[in-house]
Amino acid sequence: MTERLAFLYPEIVLFVATCVVMVLGLSRSLRARKSSAVVAGVSVLLAGFLAVVSTPRGSGDAACPLSGFVYSHALTPAMGQVLLPELAPYAKAVIALVGALLLLPMAGTVDRTDEARIAAGKAGFDPLRSNRAEFYAFYLFSLTGLMLCASADNLIWLFLALELTSLPTYIMVAISTSRNRSREAGVKYFFLGALGAAVFLYGFALVYGGTGTTNLNAIAHSISTGGLNTITLLGVVVSLLGLCFKIAAAPMHFYTPDVYEGAAPQVSGFLAFVPKTAGFIAILLLCAAVGWGYSHADSGVGSLLHAVSAEPLVQGTGRRLPYLLWLMIWVVAALTMTIGNVLAVLQRSVKRMLAYSSIAHSGYMLVGVLAGPGDSASTSGVSAVLFYLLAYGVMNAGTFAVLAALERGTDSEGQPVEVETLDDLRGLCASHPLLGWTMVVCSLSLLGLPPLLGFFGKLPLFTSGIAAGQITLVVVLGLNSAIAAFYYLRLAFTPLLESRDESEAPPALAPFRSRMAGAVIAAVGVLVLSAIGGWAMGHAFDAATVKGAGAIAPRGH
Amino acid sequence: MLNLIQDTIVHTQPESLGAAVEKAGHAHGQTDWSVAAIVALPLLACVLTGLCAALRVKSKLPAWITVASLAGAFALTLKTFAAHFMGAESHPFVVHVFDWVTFSWAADAHAQGPQTNELAANFAFYLDSLSALWMLFVTGLATLIALYASEYMSHDQGAGYCRFFAAFSLFVFSMACLVMADNLLLLYLGWEGVGLCSYLLIGYFYKKPSAVAAAKKAFIINRIGDLFLAMGVMLIFVQFGTVEYSVLFEKARPYIELARAGQFSQIPFLVKLIPCLLMGGAFGKSAQLPLYVWLPDAMEGPTPVSALIHAATMVTAGVFLIARTYPLFLLSEIALPVVAWVGALTALLSATIGMAQFDIKRIMAYSTVSQLGYMFCGLAVLSPSGGVFHVVTHAFFKALLFLCCGAVMHGFAGQLDLRKLSGVMKVPGWRIVGFGMLIGCLNLAGFPLTAGYFSKDMILAEAFVTPGTAVIGWILLITAGLTAYYTFRVFFRVFVGPVAYELGDEHHGADHGHDDGHGHGDAHGHAQAKGHADAHGHGGTHHEPHAPGWAINTVLATLAVLSLAATGLYFVGGDHGAVAGLVDQSSAGFHSPLAHHGAAEGAPAHEAGHAVVSYVPEFVHARAHGGEVHAGTIFGADPHKAMYFISAGVGAVGIFVAFWLHLAGRKSAATSRADALLPALGPIPGWAQGKWYVDEFYDFLVRKPLWVLSHIFYLIDSYLVDGLVDFIGAAPRAAGKVIRPSQSGELHGYALGMAGGLVILIVIVALVAT
Repeated sequence: MTERLAFLYPEIVLFVATCVVMVLGLSRSLRARKSSAVVAGVSVLLAGFLAVVSTPRGSGDAACPLSGFVYSHALTPAMGQVLLPELAPYAKAVIALVGALLLLPMAGTVDRTDEARIAAGKAGFDPLRSNRAEFYAFYLFSLTGLMLCASADNLIWLFLALELTSLPTYIMVAISTSRNRSREAGVKYFFLGALGAAVFLYGFALVYGGTGTTNLNAIAHSISTGGLNTITLLGVVVSLLGLCFKIAAAPMHFYTPDVYEGAAPQVSGFLAFVPKTAGFIAILLLCAAVGWGYSHADSGVGSLLHAVSAEPLVQGTGRRLPYLLWLMIWVVAALTMTIGNVLAVLQRSVKRMLAYSSIAHSGYMLVGVLAGPGDSASTSGVSAVLFYLLAYGVMNAGTFAVLAALERGTDSEGQPVEVETLDDLRGLCASHPLLGWTMVVCSLSLLGLPPLLGFFGKLPLFTSGIAAGQITLVVVLGLNSAIAAFYYLRLAFTPLLESRDESEAPPALAPFRSRMAGAVIAAVGVLVLSAIGGWAMGHAFDAATVKGAGAIAPRGH
Repeated sequence: MLNLIQDTIVHTQPESLGAAVEKAGHAHGQTDWSVAAIVALPLLACVLTGLCAALRVKSKLPAWITVASLAGAFALTLKTFAAHFMGAESHPFVVHVFDWVTFSWAADAHAQGPQTNELAANFAFYLDSLSALWMLFVTGLATLIALYASEYMSHDQGAGYCRFFAAFSLFVFSMACLVMADNLLLLYLGWEGVGLCSYLLIGYFYKKPSAVAAAKKAFIINRIGDLFLAMGVMLIFVQFGTVEYSVLFEKARPYIELARAGQFSQIPFLVKLIPCLLMGGAFGKSAQLPLYVWLPDAMEGPTPVSALIHAATMVTAGVFLIARTYPLFLLSEIALPVVAWVGALTALLSATIGMAQFDIKRIMAYSTVSQLGYMFCGLAVLSPSGGVFHVVTHAFFKALLFLCCGAVMHGFAGQLDLRKLSGVMKVPGWRIVGFGMLIGCLNLAGFPLTAGYFSKDMILAEAFVTPGTAVIGWILLITAGLTAYYTFRVFFRVFVGPVAYELGDEHHGADHGHDDGHGHGDAHGHAQAKGHADAHGHGGTHHEPHAPGWAINTVLATLAVLSLAATGLYFVGGDHGAVAGLVDQSSAGFHSPLAHHGAAEGAPAHEAGHAVVSYVPEFVHARAHGGEVHAGTIFGADPHKAMYFISAGVGAVGIFVAFWLHLAGRKSAATSRADALLPALGPIPGWAQGKWYVDEFYDFLVRKPLWVLSHIFYLIDSYLVDGLVDFIGAAPRAAGKVIRPSQSGELHGYALGMAGGLVILIVIVALVAT
């Protein structure tokens, strides 16, 4: 029992911390209230630490008492998914690190005016008006769900984990500022999220219908032995399209700019990492269940029908996803990055631009999903995706943290006014050197400029795409990277090279030092990870071990 | 004379070079930090002098830091040398400092050639007798010349002084990387590093346009050579799957066996191409035809730089490269003959130019080019020991010559025109400079029993011994005569004869004077120097020459003694002296394990019918079998014995002609008996003085077409490419504007979009599936 629990230590820690934070946040003592954020941060780091040290690892045959399967190469003795058996420690460590980094700029997101009034003695503490407890509890719940995704071995578990990740974020968006814009964004996000969830839940149901099981390992086994029937294929297609909502990929991307713009920047940064990671983990799990072992003729409309008719829907004959799935992801990837980039080019609002670019980054990562596993870090698309999630998480946290750390005074209701357009960032390197340079480093890294982290993240996407023969898609990826240069360079050079008019006052620093710390730590993280990228990529590659479906044999059903 | 090879040595050699390296590596256990420190010390000096610059140090501290570090490096080199390479037999060993480049990728199942999926180049040092010898004179000379420069550069104390010594130390660091590298990638790093430092130091007087132009010229022409080297290194990696010497030589062994058996047709073309590419790099760095034109202009740099970088060390890097990769040069039947011809023609051409110049530093520069030609010939006529011996002796006497010229220039306010200087030796305080110059000139002219005489003889004699290179030998012999003439032309004009001099334009008697702008033979440089002097308001001509101080004199005396002592190297430690012994045990030697693999004994003799145009196969074959080759004779005598007398005679004739034309009966500085002869020669002296118009020819051949081409490209760029880029830049915007309305901000619109997209994609999938 304790062995099985060991897989869940991180989530248990987070859950306990959530309960503590809920109580602390409602305390009458300001110190106790303030400590809720500290507890949240420490618990996230502790969860990441536990994920690395306590996740049981072993090898050899082991029986899974829950699903009744024997894994011939299972590394997990008791439970957990074996399609990506090494995923959980890496994914949870990344989630913890980036999650903690995203927590830093969240200081003062909620209750700011109330707390100010309490501090000024104009009002007493009213637990009914306070949002702090919920906010940090939701933050922790969301991360708990995200970590649960990484060890999901069952579609139901996966669905619940995905929803546990997303539901808190709807509310976080809505309460992130007290403006109507945030509420509108929250509501939009919620309704569209429900639509997305309905789609992938429907897909999950179809998969269940096609294979007769919800256990991912059993699904993989069923597909590898019995072939991929139409219902299952349709189920996987619908599920993936539903999951496109989580990763903000076309055609489910519409909500992204509105929601990111409506939420406070620190929450937008959270949205850009957390649901996206959950979505990619789920997509990788589903694709691993189907397997990358199919063969079909090369892409091209001419050979399309021929390819389909000639395609054996049986695992182990090639090195690709089934043709239809491949085609769909191909189209979605190309559309996503193109739409994201061309719309980002038009933006003057920094948050909208980053929102569209977040769409584009999802498109990039889908190339890795298509490329599938490989035998080295440069040929494995799965490893490329996992590493890119880390890289994107850090770079992205930096840009949003800079936005969070700046404000342009307060409006008539005493609410701080956010930095909105590129013009507000002019001359930032001169007025706030640390923040300005953070913006420069992070946006150049997001652009993928060597030798920064983003380049090392994008490189394996390219190489794995080429190794998998996706030349056309890699060309699309390259063109899109060029378009991305257009707006990322603007984002890098506006703070650096343009100067502010004498008449305008530079944006003020938000009165929360941890916001600036978050930005600077992210920039330092980008630089450090650029230097030790190879080390991190090695771990990503280890985590990207994909067990062939043939390796899973049922033990009597 | 030529029993270089004894069977006993053959059999005591280890099986393979690789094995030998490994053995030595095991014996040494962990990293030998004293070897690493040889490289680290100059780098440390560079960092510290850089710090001095940052702290605005105005004293001579940077010079002392540099001298101390380089002396330390020299001491460590000496220690290493004494510990490992003094005996009769030495084994190369590798000192691993840290992993530098390790890059691996998935092996391609369809790849042709050697299966490899890793590029590994460590920051490791390969020490054999060759690199140890090279480091010995590099660090030794660098120490002495740094000491010299401490005084020579003293007029620039401050930021310029720090800059000078930082680049100087960086140069020694790069040179150490180049020489001691364990792999070609590290060698390439050093190669580029010395090129960079050369550029920085030639352009030291960056306010002077001619110096900047010279620096650019040197850098660009070197880049041409570097391109060939880079391609050579890449091709080596492609063909052999490694850049590490020990592995490389091991993998090249089958081809070497083929070459030894004379079966060149069986060696793949791409393998034969390797030495030809490496050669290009060597010609660029060592200023050989057709890439020699940068070196004379490089004299724009301060004289210590000319002495160290552009005479003694960096320019020998090409010789080193060929010596290091000598086994590869045996793989092509044309590689060594080409090197020989290029070397010989360069030697002759630059000697003729040197005869007609008036700027003494420039004459020395042309003599460097000429002597480098000798070294290449030495390697190419299968006398690597002769070539390397000449490198060593040349390093000392040429450094000495340059430093003497530098002392004159320093003391006579930048005066370098030999028509305006005479009898310098008789001016008080100039005796040491005069004697130093004399010793240097004797060496350069190949006066009997000097070191330069013996090293030149080894090359000359071998050229006559080696079959098919007698023409090369004759060219070199003629060049030796010309060398003796132009060398002593300088000595007789400038240092002896009636005392008469005219000071140059640069008077640094004033506290803030500058040592830039040397008086040049060509009018252009002169005008620049004048302009400079005027700008600084030093118009006076009443200054007296100031004699060199203790630092310069000490260095000159030491170098003079060393140049003389180098003769001793010929008489100790073996048949052709200590250097030959060292070279033989390195990759360039016929004693090296490479040259003595058992298989060679059984290889079929080179068939006479195999009409290879080259002399290489049979000779290598014969050498490998320990046989003597007496294909060539000179006047029916053994060339080695005959050459002692012939070259002495040629040298003496050259000196005598110089004496008769330039000293005997000369009354003034400006004119000599030679002037009377000039009309008889017609336009030839003018052409030689104009450097045979090679620069103008290159200008016409390369620069003008490039200029035209660049203008054409400019037009293409500004209209076609920019237009295209503007269009491409506009396309994403246009596309964005088209799809922007989809982001209406309305919830139902979004939901519709999602559902619509979903339906469309599913319909597509369904259509394709059915």
